[in-house]
Amino acid sequence: MTKVWLGLFSGIAFGYVIQRIGATDAHRMARSHLMLDSDIPRFMVLATALSALGLFGLQAVGIGRTLVLPTSLVATGLAAVIFGIGWGIAGYCPGTTWAAAGEGRMDAVFALIGGLAGTLLFAHFHEVLIPLLYDPTNVGQITLTDLFGSYAIAVGVLAIGFGFCAWGIGKVWGERMRVVEFRQGHGESSSSPSE
Amino acid sequence: MAEQDQTTPPYWRWIPTSFALAGIIVFIFATFGPPASSSGFVSVLKGFFQAAAPEYIADKTHYQAIPGPGSWLMAFVLGMAIGGFIAGRTSKRIPVRDMPPIWEKRFGPSRIKRYAATFLGGFLILLGSRLAGGCTLGLFISGSTQLAVSGLYFGVIIFGVAMLTARLIFGKMERTETMDDIE
Repeated sequence: MTKVWLGLFSGIAFGYVIQRIGATDAHRMARSHLMLDSDIPRFMVLATALSALGLFGLQAVGIGRTLVLPTSLVATGLAAVIFGIGWGIAGYCPGTTWAAAGEGRMDAVFALIGGLAGTLLFAHFHEVLIPLLYDPTNVGQITLTDLFGSYAIAVGVLAIGFGFCAWGIGKVWGERMRVVEFRQGHGESSSSPSE
Repeated sequence: MAEQDQTTPPYWRWIPTSFALAGIIVFIFATFGPPASSSGFVSVLKGFFQAAAPEYIADKTHYQAIPGPGSWLMAFVLGMAIGGFIAGRTSKRIPVRDMPPIWEKRFGPSRIKRYAATFLGGFLILLGSRLAGGCTLGLFISGSTQLAVSGLYFGVIIFGVAMLTARLIFGKMERTETMDDIE
């Protein structure tokens, strides 16, 4: 039961934070994909870099559980392409659909239903698809530690690399970025134009 | 275009928010393990089938691999919805809307068209996530935090393809689109 409360608490905190950065807003996500707004991609890579450092600290004192997913060259790559198309169309990823649906965005509710349909389809054909697409090019649970030989060095490389990405995204996106502005009332419904 | 609104976006700033999210992620690693959200979809369906058609999932690997309702994974996605609800209700400035203005400008005000598109988008992101074993959170963020090559590989491709897809969909609007010029 403790697990459920921990999960619920973690989810509430997570959903709250991603709403506050605007990740649950498909409009802002589309602008991020169009390189007009750099905050969300920068937020994602910086949060990941900091998490990697935090997890390194946890591991140093022997706390926490890790589970590295294997890399399948074909399945992981193909899955990422399918995912990227869906993300570009909807502007939602699996986690943000829950938070955005909770927020009251109807298009996210439909993304959630679509997600259940996609899950249903994959789960139905799991026994066919995994041996066909995943297993043949599965290179195992490889990590950067395998590449660099030391966990400490690998964490440093990732944190610096992602930190550089956060800076670089700001540079590349930044030229065309404009500060987001809102008009009160606008967007609440299409029947209240402010012109 | 009010000048003071331009200087105070309604969103939190990205650097402090990154620290906040990283704190939550590290907390999750400490108290549960790698965070994941696409698995929550499997838990929901598993719960449904356990009640409606237990014989259907009895020999299905995907449902056997993921815990059902009453699990951390299921509680987490429900928590996400609650967190989104609380955040949405307590923010006066972040607009909650059923259709992104950029979409309305490109495809018109048809809600059916938008909902059909997000249904398709949702379908694709979960199909991809279940094939790879995780989503933006469960594979890219969790995986990269653990230095997994799978997470980095997945992350680079999803960003690239989503950027390309958005460009194909919204086309030339890309240069002119702002929040304020949809009226």
